[in-house]
Amino acid sequence: MRSLKNKMQMYSLLLPGFLIFLLFTVYPIFKLLAMSFFKWDFGSILKQEFIGLQNYKDVLSDDVFWTVLVNTLAYTAVTVPAQMALGLIAALFIQKIPCFKVGFRVLYYLPVITSWVIASLIFKYIFNTEGMLNYFLTQIIHFSSENIRWLDTRWTGLSAAMLLGTWKGIGWNMVIFLAALQTVPADLYEVAEIDGAGAFKKFFYITLPSIKGTILFALVMLTIGGFNVFTSIKMMTGGEPAHQTDVLLTWMYYKAFSAGKFGYSASLSFIIAVILAFLAWIQFKMMKSKENT
Amino acid sequence: MRQMKHKKNLPAYFALYILLAVGAAISILPMVYMINISLKPNGALFEYPPKFFPTIAEITFENYVYIFGQEKFYLNFLNSIAVSLATVIISAIVAAALAFCFARFNFRGKRFFFAFIIFTMIIPGTTLIVPQYELAVKFKVLNSLSGLVPFYVAWVIPFSTFMIKGFIENIPKDFDEAVYIDGGSVYTVFFKIALPLASPAVASVSIFNFLTAWEEYPWANIVISDNVKRTLPIAISGFFGQHQFTQWGYVFALSALSLMPVILVFIFFQKYFISGLTSGGIKG
Repeated sequence: MRSLKNKMQMYSLLLPGFLIFLLFTVYPIFKLLAMSFFKWDFGSILKQEFIGLQNYKDVLSDDVFWTVLVNTLAYTAVTVPAQMALGLIAALFIQKIPCFKVGFRVLYYLPVITSWVIASLIFKYIFNTEGMLNYFLTQIIHFSSENIRWLDTRWTGLSAAMLLGTWKGIGWNMVIFLAALQTVPADLYEVAEIDGAGAFKKFFYITLPSIKGTILFALVMLTIGGFNVFTSIKMMTGGEPAHQTDVLLTWMYYKAFSAGKFGYSASLSFIIAVILAFLAWIQFKMMKSKENT
Repeated sequence: MRQMKHKKNLPAYFALYILLAVGAAISILPMVYMINISLKPNGALFEYPPKFFPTIAEITFENYVYIFGQEKFYLNFLNSIAVSLATVIISAIVAAALAFCFARFNFRGKRFFFAFIIFTMIIPGTTLIVPQYELAVKFKVLNSLSGLVPFYVAWVIPFSTFMIKGFIENIPKDFDEAVYIDGGSVYTVFFKIALPLASPAVASVSIFNFLTAWEEYPWANIVISDNVKRTLPIAISGFFGQHQFTQWGYVFALSALSLMPVILVFIFFQKYFISGLTSGGIKG
């Protein structure tokens, strides 16, 4: 198999993927870095001007950047633990019941496969000032005497998006944790039962330590997902009022394709990528050190 | 023994089922609400008091009749099918070939190449949208479906390659050796052994790739501008911003129709869905 013919065949299998990756992913990464040093306004592709770190200075001195960064961090900090906890609870319950396991799994997974555009529009409709939620809050349970303008202020708008993100993510966590729970050795529980351990003790001393690898995996994936939040914000609030509900990616998108500031957006994108690479690196380190203990 | 345990815990099981049923209801009610709205006349939207279910007298298919009466929506549907299938087929072949090489051969730069692939899985795809747009301008593929497919393929290749590679590594090398001893080539091993045996992994990544292409919004939204060239997510969002008054009945009728293929795929390929999801998460 070490013949030249086989070597050529191997490279021919490698080549298409390599070229696609090189052209559509690697080149744009370097192009992104290059664009971030230029004044590069949309429509004036011929009039680019090298301005060094000016775009980075502009991004970091922009109040909106700090607002959208805090919004993104808040979104991630709320939705990640909420999804994981609810998904894990659903998985624990589904694992315990004798029948309808598959049925519940399918129902809990439906929000995951519903597209972001559709899910966001449904939530936009429910959270509308004249919508179902306000009717429920004011007329049924009398929580508030007047309609709340959910999508018109910063934290209520973000809360709506956080609720959507959590609702949509539970099913994924449920499936991941359900599979992890099946790998926990049953005899561990039996020994604990003989020792008289209750359900909570078993959960904290056996279940949680046994699935910590999966918990960290979910943490990494969901943190990346949290920074990826885009369509829900774009559809539900559109960043209104005055970018108060924007997140990093919707702000970057707005700057590029509505304001035409490609250079600014490129440096913002690069900052986002660096933040995420740093977070992922920390989490991988955590994963490694947990594995070694 | 097991039977006894079930009987003893009857109230506990009852409570579990109630809680799970509440969770399941919360999971599906938004979609049920969407379908309900799509069955109401457009004028009755934001009625007071809002009703979750339409009354029998209210039920109408006028929103669906409107959607089916517009030629552009057929084209949007076909565009979405074409883009999704092209993405699925091209990325399946390309990623499987790439994964096969990573799993079975040593070549110069292999470790670096693979590390780079993993690295790109961490960065959100949307952060590259600006230079990719510049690339699309250069290639003159704006406002055409060929401006979508290559980019979707490039986005899904890292994850697909990663998953299929893991699967091929678990296939014993004995099969490969036997083919080589019989004078078979690398192509023979790939097409006759690796690809058929790795088909469950290829199937599960293909489902995710289909969903990715089917629901993709940010990229298609800037690349496609013509009504007739839109994919479904862009067609749905196209109901906003044109008029001051949003025709929610149309929005949700088209949404419900575009959700149907996804639910069918999910129901038919549920097995691959679950295996694809869990094989990544359990290791470690």
